Amino acid sequence: MWKKEDVKSQGVGEISTTAVPVALPAAPSGIARDRDSALPVSPRAAACISHGIRIKGEVTGSEDLFIDGHLEGKLNLGNSTLTVGPNGEIKADIYAREVIVRGRVDGKIVGREKIQLWSTGNVAGDLQTERLVIEDGAVLRGKVEIETGKPVRIIEPRAAAAAANSSLAPAIPGSAAN
Amino acid sequence: MNFLNRLGIGTGAAVSPTREVARSLAPTGGRPRTPSAATPGAVVGVAAARSPDPRESNRVSNGLKELLWNLDGLGRGSLLDLGPAWQTTLSFFIERGFRVSSEDILHEWKDFLVEEETKLRAAAGQLPESVDTTPGGRAARFLADNLQYPNATFDAILLWDLLDYLEPALAKLVVTALTDLLRAGGVVFAMFHSKKPDGFHRYRVADSNTLQMISAPMLCPAQKIYQNREIQDLFGRYRTMKSFIGRDQLRESLFIK
Repeated sequence: MWKKEDVKSQGVGEISTTAVPVALPAAPSGIARDRDSALPVSPRAAACISHGIRIKGEVTGSEDLFIDGHLEGKLNLGNSTLTVGPNGEIKADIYAREVIVRGRVDGKIVGREKIQLWSTGNVAGDLQTERLVIEDGAVLRGKVEIETGKPVRIIEPRAAAAAANSSLAPAIPGSAAN
Repeated sequence: MNFLNRLGIGTGAAVSPTREVARSLAPTGGRPRTPSAATPGAVVGVAAARSPDPRESNRVSNGLKELLWNLDGLGRGSLLDLGPAWQTTLSFFIERGFRVSSEDILHEWKDFLVEEETKLRAAAGQLPESVDTTPGGRAARFLADNLQYPNATFDAILLWDLLDYLEPALAKLVVTALTDLLRAGGVVFAMFHSKKPDGFHRYRVADSNTLQMISAPMLCPAQKIYQNREIQDLFGRYRTMKSFIGRDQLRESLFIK
């Protein structure tokens, strides 16, 4: 099929020099260009699941990971970067600091800081991130949720009432100031 | 010729890159692009910042302007984009506070047709009787896996010119499905060709009244050119319809539920 051929035609280490993805959401003054020279696009990541390897289950870790094989289950990289190579096929919800997709992902992706979909990337699932980069040709089927990065303080009604009361009659010195 | 092409609903022959480049270069006289450079991915910025690409052309869009006017003051709305996931389109609406869902229906339709063809080949034309091979049956099978948004409603739907490329039976079902997904007062933005389209284009938002037309390899051949009456019949459940016809004979229509 044309898409698969398209994907296979690009080697793991190939980097499109013409592609200059744009960060989203843009700064108010305009769209920021983002040519990140440190993009992990090859198995230079600390850990690598290479082409031909199949994993079923839960993968967790705190190192950058490159997957060019198959993974089915759950993937949690916490504060690290996940790169799905051009041959990578993942059926899992993904949680990481940054996620780069050059292959196929079927599942929700939470990339806390950034998600990048390369032109060969194909995602069926919702995306949740602060910044999203989509190259022309990437296929996305899902909802996009962009978080502004500003922490939102949610105060429970009961806690708010307690805080109000404590400010009137502080039981512990100093608590009113908080 | 493949089975589905014989049925008249084939996936269409992809335009060869060289012919496509030659055609797109004719009016602009730009430098030819190598096939690798012609692959999508050469985004350099938004409309103002990008270098001119021979595959792209801008068109002033009164329909888009009217759509934005209708959505003005909505706050945090939700939008369904049924075209390809373009960075510029997504940023445009997300910056305006929309939650955007994206599903490239035409791409899915092409994949579906290819899959159907594979099944036909495997069965050597002898499919079980339970498989409905009529356009209606095909459309129902396609929609069983697509446009599935349980518990979701949208304030706006970008339909682009997809209906021209879908089988009429599917187009009808798609409009019905979209009507169910749209909240009361929601808007559908659609486009219709007044004559058989010359080439195949995808569209993206450049700014609040400009669309970019990107010439692309044909995913599916145009299936039907809708007349005014047929469009009104398709969107019979909508209370308002507004149309704008451009010089290129492309009709932009807004349907308000």
